Amino acid sequence: MFVAAIRPRQRGRPITPGTVAGTKRADRELRQADMIRTQAISKTFSGRKRGEVRAVDAVTLECRSGEVFGVLGPNGAGKTTLLRMLGTILSPTSGSAEVAGYDVQTQAPLVRASIGYLSGTTAPYDRLTPREVLAYFGALQGMGTEKVAQRTDAVLHALDMEEFADRRCERLSTGQRQKVNIARAILHEPPVLFLDEPTAGLDVLASRTVMRFIRQSRDEGRTVVFSTHIMAEVESICDRIAVIHKGRLAATGTMAELRERVGGGSFEQVFLKLIGEVTEA
Amino acid sequence: MNGRARVGVVFRKEFREVFRDRRTVIGVVISPLLITPLLFMVLGMFIASEGRKMRSEVMTVGVVGMAGAPTLMKALGAPPNLRLESIEESGAEEAIRTRKVRAVAVLPKDSEKRLASSRSVEVRLMLDAGNDKSTAAAQRLRAALQVAGGRLLKVRLENLGLPSDFASPFVVKEAPIKTGGARGTLIVAGLLPYLLALACFSSGIYAANDTVAGEKERGTLETLLVSPATRRELVMGKFLAVAAVCCVGSVLSVVGMSIPFFSGLKVFAWLSQGGMRLSATGIGVTILMQLPLAFLFAGMLLTVSTFARNQKEAQTYLGPMMMAIIVPAMMSMVAGAEAPRVMAVVPVLNASLIIKQALSGTVDPVFMGLALATSLAYAGLAVAVCTRLFERESVLLRT
Repeated sequence: MFVAAIRPRQRGRPITPGTVAGTKRADRELRQADMIRTQAISKTFSGRKRGEVRAVDAVTLECRSGEVFGVLGPNGAGKTTLLRMLGTILSPTSGSAEVAGYDVQTQAPLVRASIGYLSGTTAPYDRLTPREVLAYFGALQGMGTEKVAQRTDAVLHALDMEEFADRRCERLSTGQRQKVNIARAILHEPPVLFLDEPTAGLDVLASRTVMRFIRQSRDEGRTVVFSTHIMAEVESICDRIAVIHKGRLAATGTMAELRERVGGGSFEQVFLKLIGEVTEA
Repeated sequence: MNGRARVGVVFRKEFREVFRDRRTVIGVVISPLLITPLLFMVLGMFIASEGRKMRSEVMTVGVVGMAGAPTLMKALGAPPNLRLESIEESGAEEAIRTRKVRAVAVLPKDSEKRLASSRSVEVRLMLDAGNDKSTAAAQRLRAALQVAGGRLLKVRLENLGLPSDFASPFVVKEAPIKTGGARGTLIVAGLLPYLLALACFSSGIYAANDTVAGEKERGTLETLLVSPATRRELVMGKFLAVAAVCCVGSVLSVVGMSIPFFSGLKVFAWLSQGGMRLSATGIGVTILMQLPLAFLFAGMLLTVSTFARNQKEAQTYLGPMMMAIIVPAMMSMVAGAEAPRVMAVVPVLNASLIIKQALSGTVDPVFMGLALATSLAYAGLAVAVCTRLFERESVLLRT
């Protein structure tokens, strides 16, 4: 029920680049593997106190359509900056990136229409109800009133939110608030989801809701880029993983590929060895 | 969806959300409509009570050389609410300072002789200029001496066989025109623009702080930035919402301040006693001039809110900004309504002066046009600065 109501597409069929509702599809062929593609993307911050900080350093990676791609790294590794660049919130200092077939720098509005973005620190608008939050973001996405109402009903039902749909967000529990954020992120049926540490600060039940949502999104064919520093989450849900440390890409691959690269061990050991390689380099 | 429609979406959401907050409702709606008239009422009651107390209070005034001036003292008689006491000149200042007496009249030693020879007597009044009761006592004594002097003059003229108006070649009487501003209007016209400028500015503070700094703090700004709305559209929507809140606050402040003048309630009678009145045109022009001010303040407040990391930091920046508003607003209290046209380009002061002109019934159309145009230009500049800040990652995403 959860799956079908969130997105009435054929289950398991990957969403290809350019299929976002309401946008003109780029007239070009893209391989499925290229739902997200970065080429030596970098971001440098300059500040009077800390000087120049290279938060992301020449990261090149690809995310395939319909996969959960984990971005794993310790705090301050550059995960949020990478996701923010892919989400067009930040502009890359150098390099390039494409999301759903659109360039993040020259086609930012089309990228934004193709993505859903959710972070662990995001709060819904306290003085609006979940239904109003969805109406607001639906309107910003350019969805018509009827379409917004139809999608709102479907999403509220799918996430079991009907009971509190007309209650102000300030009166909701943490788990209910996170459901509002999830609903907002998928309302416009984006083919790509960026989830930046979405379980940060959540209790076990709320975390389970998020993890279930990620699995369902993958089953529907969405590409999910999921950043975290929690090993268990990566192990349980990610198809492929990128390990980032000090802004640099340490390795990418499936769990098995990463294990093989460092000669086996628990995933924690694999992770430590991989970031150790970056530190030594 | 086009950009204008998205601006409308942001505007409607922000406006609705900000008015759902109790702080906005109290600050923008309840305060001007209820608290302002209530303050006028309390102020009127306090002024009336203080006035009554002051008028009925018997004040002691020391007189130096009382024994040597029986004729003057007889002419002075017993002035109402004044007790005259003989005092030595050496202790006069100390007596005023310690409030044993409120003021001291120093009569010259030859006062009797000078009166007898129909000469004038120089009376030196000692008072504490920084004490209202001392100045009031001196005022009462001065009035009593004028009355006594008038009586003595009349006797002198009669003795000389001259008419009583012999010493008054000109008699001047003021005749204010009926269509002009009443005397009390000057007080209101001076005070009102200042109060309205502050009301307009303070109305938008919470809305502006909440709409950008608040979004940064709650982490909701990020989700807005990944929507298809451009940053310019987001700024415009938020700016219009803050400006609308400032406008609502301004209009309700004008309404709240008009209530005492039009209610006909006895508690507000003190306002009309001095001849104060507000015309419909005056109110109309006042509201019209508040609008560009609302746009300017909205731009300034939103710029601060965008620059600040969080609402607390925005609040800190607003202290000096409030001073920047208060100073030109206060200047309008001092400047005359017919100020030179160059003042029409000074932000805040220009709007305050137009309001002052409107309330005094003397609007200069050129001054008003200039003031409107420059206020809107400043508002545009503030929005441009805010938009530039909104487009800077280092400002928008710092927390």
